[in-house]
Amino acid sequence: MASESRIGSDGLFNAAEVTTSGRPVLRRNEVECFLLSSVDLDSEDDPPRFASLRSGNLILTTHRLIWIPSSQPNASSSLPSSSSSSLPLAAVTHIFSHKKSIKSMFHSPRIRFQAESVVVTIVFRGKGDFDGRAWEEDEKSESEASSGSGAGTVAQGLYGNDGTVRMVGLAGILRKEQEQWESTDKSLQDAFQDLNALMSKAKEMVSLAEKMRQKLLSAPSSQNGGGDDEEMGSKEEMQQWMLSVGIISPVTKESAGALYHQELSRQLADFVRIPLEQAGGMISLTDMYYHFNRARGTELISPDDLWQACNLWEKFDVPVMLRKFDSGVKVIQNKSHSDEEVMSRIRTLVTKTETLRTGVTASDAALTLKIAPAMAKEHLLSAETKGLLSRDMSPDGLRFYFNLFPEIDPTDLHLVKGFGTYGEWVKATSLLSV
Amino acid sequence: MRRRPGIGGLQKAAAARDQYRLLGENVAKLRTDMMKEQLATFKSQLEEFARKHKNDIRKNPAFRAQFHEMCAKVGVDPLASNKGFWAELLGIGDFYYELGVQIIEVCMLTRSLNGGLISLQELSSHLRQRRKKDREAVTEDDCLRAISKLKVLGSGFEVITIGKKKLVRSVPTELNKDHNQILELAQGQGFVTVEQVRRRLSWASGRVIDALETLLEEGLAMIDNGIKDGKCQYWFPCVSSVYSFVGSDT
Repeated sequence: MASESRIGSDGLFNAAEVTTSGRPVLRRNEVECFLLSSVDLDSEDDPPRFASLRSGNLILTTHRLIWIPSSQPNASSSLPSSSSSSLPLAAVTHIFSHKKSIKSMFHSPRIRFQAESVVVTIVFRGKGDFDGRAWEEDEKSESEASSGSGAGTVAQGLYGNDGTVRMVGLAGILRKEQEQWESTDKSLQDAFQDLNALMSKAKEMVSLAEKMRQKLLSAPSSQNGGGDDEEMGSKEEMQQWMLSVGIISPVTKESAGALYHQELSRQLADFVRIPLEQAGGMISLTDMYYHFNRARGTELISPDDLWQACNLWEKFDVPVMLRKFDSGVKVIQNKSHSDEEVMSRIRTLVTKTETLRTGVTASDAALTLKIAPAMAKEHLLSAETKGLLSRDMSPDGLRFYFNLFPEIDPTDLHLVKGFGTYGEWVKATSLLSV
Repeated sequence: MRRRPGIGGLQKAAAARDQYRLLGENVAKLRTDMMKEQLATFKSQLEEFARKHKNDIRKNPAFRAQFHEMCAKVGVDPLASNKGFWAELLGIGDFYYELGVQIIEVCMLTRSLNGGLISLQELSSHLRQRRKKDREAVTEDDCLRAISKLKVLGSGFEVITIGKKKLVRSVPTELNKDHNQILELAQGQGFVTVEQVRRRLSWASGRVIDALETLLEEGLAMIDNGIKDGKCQYWFPCVSSVYSFVGSDT
């Protein structure tokens, strides 16, 4: 953001924030209406009430009048540098009407207005064809609008002498915008009405769908062969319809779910092969959702879609399956993945001399087994449940050690065995060993 | 009809049963056709609605919230499936599913800092940073809806209210009542000491230490025991008002 030094000893102008490229930072709901270049702001009084602002861009917004210098202040120049200033339109108390005179024909067009007992003159030095009247009218209407007067006064400024609405210059742009806002308002009202109508229709659909679902559930599933296919087809159709309307119906043992989910299920089974390999054979459902939708880009699937599709895998012959751990975590794993294999890998890890002594944390296991830390934790926990490991909770965190309790003879608790893993452990933790 | 004895009677009864069954099937078919018709009408009504108000839903969060409320009242879930009419015609599916993906991303990135518990405020500001390019504003209500949809994925996505703040959980760790109370207490200064908890909640010190240790293990709390007066401070990144912005923005 550029500099924000104040200007004017009486504080008439406020500092205006600008971006690094020189554009003004607009406030919320503030809309830029018009921009003019080569504009000076002078003080008409003698002595001048504020330092003249020369050669800048003047921006009229719905809330303020902003003046930004066209050239950046030169650090080495001796002239006092001017910076961006703004004046809230609400401060404008009176706009002097434009007096046409011979003198004014030769001058650059100018507008005078009064703000907080200071008279300011805007001098338009630009070369272009300029409609001074329209600008004045608009400033009038804007300042009145922002100080909260009725719509009547605003309209007054927009009508030309003969009563027709002028669409020229700034006035026209403003009027168009206002019409747009009015129509948006009205359309929102319409929107709510339409929403109500739509919802009552949706209610009908829901009750109808419920009736159909009841019928489906009560219909006996085993009939003569020909009837079966037809029923299956219509059940699928039913699922599809209910899905379209937005009613979630769970995949049951008999039904195969909507056709959409079946297709998605196959698609997922293909897609999941690569992430599974990368993740070491097991990937959480959340990660899957993330990867799949990221890969898709558009037409994303909902979490429910993913869940339904994965549930369908048990009906199809695909090499992947959904699995739920005790902690509630749902994962996708290869059918060929065996817990046994992971257990044996953990066992190997935990009976090494190092780990007999210091145990293993979830992150250690993740690194060694090359799987995600969350998965590693799950595996360690299930190993503990199987009796392979025992845990140690300390201020250092949660660590798992090889479970030596089975090797301790219950009839002779203090016997220190010299063989088996017990023996290994003794060797590893003995203070005499190096 | 009159029951006739003998084979003839049996045959007739069988024929009658068949006829009833056929009639039943016909009635069912009629209902199916009616259903199809109703569905088509509904779809066209929804298309009309979408044509007029699709933009309103995307741009106006208040309208969007109202829309969701009414759907809930009626009993439909517009976010249930990507293939539903709602998602297809109104296009709000992508909005929420994409939001879900972004929420997962933010939670994953901040997990090492806050252990899997992040305040809704912080989450919203992270999201706003990521979505600077998109014109659509995302309200807290939108976040809540997206998170409620993520619940089904089983990683523990949930919104819990502690005191005045809402926290978003993204790990399966369950927090019990004791933990919640400590978190609420921590909202004051961002940290608690054992003394504070014991005094304010009138617990035995064993209970306090137990709860604090669990929170420490799960990564939700950080300990500072370098204070001069020797007391340990347990800090909770998720309830502190200091925003931590993760450097890289993908």
